[in-house]
Amino acid sequence: MRERMTRHDRLLRHEVLRIISIGCILLFAILPLLTLAFNVTGKDWTFIAKDRKFWAAIKNSLTYTGAAAVITTALALVSAYLLETSSLRKKNLYVIALTLGMLVPTISVGLGLRVLFGANGFLDLLFGLELEVRGMPGLIMGAVMTSFPATFLILYDALHYEDKGPYDAASIMGIGRLSTFFRLTIPYLRIALISAFFACFTLIFSDYGIPMEIAGKVKTLPMYLYDQFMSSFQYGRGSIAGFVLLIPAVISFVFDLIFKDQSSEKQNRLIPSSAGFNRATVLVLVLLCVLLFMPQLAFISLSFTKAFPNDLGFTFEHIANIFSNTHGVGLTAYIFNSLKLAFLTAIVGTCFAYLLGYFSVRKSGRLAKVVDLLALSTIAIPGLVLGIGYIFLFKGTNGTFYGTILILVVVNTFHFLGSPYLLAKNCLSKINSDYEVIGETLGISRGKIIRNVLIPNSVSTLVEMFSYFFLNSMITISAVAFLCTYDNQPLSILITTYEKNSNYEMQSVISLIILFLNVVARVVFTAITTLVNRKNNQSAEGGIGFTRMEFDFLTYLEKNGKGVYSQRKLADDLTITLSNATRLVKETADHDYINILPDGEIEISEKGLKALEPYRVRKAIILAAGFGQRLAPVTLDTPKPLVKVNGVRILDTLLDALYAKGIKNITIVRGYKKEQFDQLLEKYPTIRFIDNPEFNLANNISSLIHAIDLIDRCYICEADLYITNPDIINKYEYRTNYLGAKVAETDDWCFSKRNGYVDDYQMGGTDCYQAFGISYWNGEDSERLKSDLRKVYAMRGGKENLWEQVPLRIMKKNYKLEIRKCHKSDIIEIDNFIELIAVDPSYAKYPGAEEYGGRS
Amino acid sequence: MDNVIISCVDINKKFKTKTVLEDVSFEIQRGEFLSLLGPSGCGKTTILRMLIGIEKPSSGRIIKDGEDITDTAPKDRNIGIVFQNYSLFPNMDVYHNISYALQSKKDENGRKRSQEEIDRKVKGIIETVGLEEHVYKRPKQLSVGQQQRVAIARTLVLNPDIILFDEPMSALDAEIKVVLRQQLKEIQKQLKITMVYVTHDQEEAFALSDRIMVLNDLRIAQLDTPYNLYHHPADAFVKRFVVDHLDLKVKSIEESIKEEKA
Repeated sequence: MRERMTRHDRLLRHEVLRIISIGCILLFAILPLLTLAFNVTGKDWTFIAKDRKFWAAIKNSLTYTGAAAVITTALALVSAYLLETSSLRKKNLYVIALTLGMLVPTISVGLGLRVLFGANGFLDLLFGLELEVRGMPGLIMGAVMTSFPATFLILYDALHYEDKGPYDAASIMGIGRLSTFFRLTIPYLRIALISAFFACFTLIFSDYGIPMEIAGKVKTLPMYLYDQFMSSFQYGRGSIAGFVLLIPAVISFVFDLIFKDQSSEKQNRLIPSSAGFNRATVLVLVLLCVLLFMPQLAFISLSFTKAFPNDLGFTFEHIANIFSNTHGVGLTAYIFNSLKLAFLTAIVGTCFAYLLGYFSVRKSGRLAKVVDLLALSTIAIPGLVLGIGYIFLFKGTNGTFYGTILILVVVNTFHFLGSPYLLAKNCLSKINSDYEVIGETLGISRGKIIRNVLIPNSVSTLVEMFSYFFLNSMITISAVAFLCTYDNQPLSILITTYEKNSNYEMQSVISLIILFLNVVARVVFTAITTLVNRKNNQSAEGGIGFTRMEFDFLTYLEKNGKGVYSQRKLADDLTITLSNATRLVKETADHDYINILPDGEIEISEKGLKALEPYRVRKAIILAAGFGQRLAPVTLDTPKPLVKVNGVRILDTLLDALYAKGIKNITIVRGYKKEQFDQLLEKYPTIRFIDNPEFNLANNISSLIHAIDLIDRCYICEADLYITNPDIINKYEYRTNYLGAKVAETDDWCFSKRNGYVDDYQMGGTDCYQAFGISYWNGEDSERLKSDLRKVYAMRGGKENLWEQVPLRIMKKNYKLEIRKCHKSDIIEIDNFIELIAVDPSYAKYPGAEEYGGRS
Repeated sequence: MDNVIISCVDINKKFKTKTVLEDVSFEIQRGEFLSLLGPSGCGKTTILRMLIGIEKPSSGRIIKDGEDITDTAPKDRNIGIVFQNYSLFPNMDVYHNISYALQSKKDENGRKRSQEEIDRKVKGIIETVGLEEHVYKRPKQLSVGQQQRVAIARTLVLNPDIILFDEPMSALDAEIKVVLRQQLKEIQKQLKITMVYVTHDQEEAFALSDRIMVLNDLRIAQLDTPYNLYHHPADAFVKRFVVDHLDLKVKSIEESIKEEKA
């Protein structure tokens, strides 16, 4: 009975928490809106209905918002697509550059446009070029610039998770890029596009920063609202305008609610990339970055201008004065205010949003749906409206809540809650839902499961959420403007203060400080995310136990047997430092992987051998079905692998090397003159044959398909390599790899390398690795290879491929292939009859030799 | 009578308006491998969830070793569970997946366990299921078979009287299934522990079980040995769902073999 009570209590406690969080949203997001509604009287309605200014504001808002949203969505789509499909390195950097605008208050974009184009602006002063930027043109330009980053991120994310299957199919069928864009990408993105358009529209529609600076006589709805509240003190009319401001947000919200779930079945990565468009992509993206960020740049340059617009001379004066500035409570105090606010918001917001995500995804029942709906609905509330609602609702708490930093933290938390909540929800819903039940049966509490399982598995999402709250709190003006006091106002509000006395330089300096702080924060957050991801990946793929160095050391011992190995010798042979050699011996000895005998000799131990077992090469598959026509006339009688060079069959060099390393599970796929291969059994009794009757109809992929079930921790080899150094075959392999020799120039198939891995595979190149047809496939990659080979083979035209094009080109995103280095002289490639004669002159006298260019 | 570990008496279960189980009574023998077999929605998972304690019967009692556990919390029932896909904690290695429960749960005397005791126990279990080589691997680095062993080990560490399996293999390839079944059967033989296994796969139930409970239409259609189910089906449903299905399978295999020969 006691048990029952405690269980009951615990359940109750969880429900209490859930109800409290629902109460919080109601109190801090919904109630402020309702309070606004109480101000509205019948008179206000009749006034508004007849007020020309109101209707003009609506028309203006709709016009410029519509135009800007269309342009922004189109630009964002093109740039997201270009970036996603390019094979550029460090894509993150481009993303950061394209979204730089997010790091500065929108008001500085408006100011920047004026500084650039307006009367006495840069263009005017430098070229006598004055554009009327106030009004529609400025509004649209400014809106595009400020809404681009968010819109871009939505689409980039959507593209990122697109199923790559159809793209693989399209590329194999030879369908062009433009066609795939219109026939695959656009239809796939349909819902994301509309959703991005709505989000963009909402953002612009409720923005106040841009119009404030650049609207001129073209009044927009937020300006009308602001006037009603701040100049005319007509709270009822202002509230009506506030509710109109909500409408697009609500439409957007409802749309997402209906359609979001349908498109949320996210696949993991992505459309294949192609290098061909890289230059064009870079050009477009850089141009876009510059154009988008130009006004802010112009504006920020004022920080270094003596006295705009009268004296454009360069100066550090404004910057130098930052710390001695005594405006208000002093500039440094404002910086501190901003950082404090951003930090607190980020901490409170991240915890709250994560908790909400937990309550809506990992607990069931009606309450979960309520939490979800309420949390999502906060997306629809413009900051301006929220801020004014707070004034009415919380004025009475002056000193305890109103007028303290607490209310700023709370208003920011609820203003920015939507996106981080979605991040948390998405992340938590992907984590296996049985953990809590397992916890219950094992006696592990829900709290512990959150702490020890859920949170460790959502670190990168948490960082992202934190970053979102932080950056937005740094730049926001809308809600905070109404609620901060003289003492606790953050930097961003200071811009509007300086605005009043037209101090361009100081406004610029403040924007610069915010940008600087945000860039630093952004870099830190990105670094943390990268670090976390890398750690996760490492523990996912490494883990097989040994580091590369340990592996090299143990296989070296295994190969060379018991003996005395000085640190010096080890360092030289393994090309490592002396201290590493010392450490290796000590650590492997500590783990009993090696035995150190009394006389100083070292040998690998039983345990060491056992631990190496996962790396042991299990078998070899040799593709020997082809005809080898370039070696005619010899191959008219004999398959190329069986042609004797200086008295030794070419294939024997490979088989001997394999046998020498104890790899006796060997399968040869044969086709052309297959019966001749039987002679091999005499010398190599353990080999098996698989026949490929299609050898003359399809490319070598068909041979491997015939042996596909055998692929597992094995070498896959071509049969016509004349091997002079048998040590290129190893008993153990650390990872999946492909054999290659560094060459200055080649017209053969070759790799380019990036970070030690195969980057590109092509015919001919300079300063690259010439590919030799020997590769090793570990367990994990074997599975991948099998499935990809089957996929490609089943596609139309798939049989025409060389098998290695599957992992190296067609599906290369799925693989990380190391290049295993060898020397060019380790293998002699005999590609044609002339080369054969060069290696073995006796062939000059082969019947029919002259016909094939083999004059002696 | 001593051999009965669980008896369920007149279990009814309703979800709001929908009845899932009606007056279901049955007994589970100590040390047996019992499968709950039936089409989806027949209530087999509900029975499992009631045995583990995360669902309560609307009426009826569940008795374990003579003690009424109908209202006992899951953690105090001494019953372990293995889920579909095994649900291992992805951020913990094999060792910590297994030791986590011991570190969290106090022992019979309400004391926290010492580190040595935990270590000894975990290592013992790891040896039992043959995972010595994989102690420090994360679940992602394990094969499905190894994952299954970790999942079983994770429940074993608390010395459960019964282990429940909630369709653990339903998402896997046919090839792997056969191997995992064998492995499971071996572990059961070795530990002689009672296992209750939910599945909708007739073959699987037949390959594994001492007895099979066929569920249909809110009730138990038949609870019997595989032999009796096949040779003496209790009603038309059991005949169709079990006997005909297996016959069909055998027949289609025979035919395809014949074709090959021809």
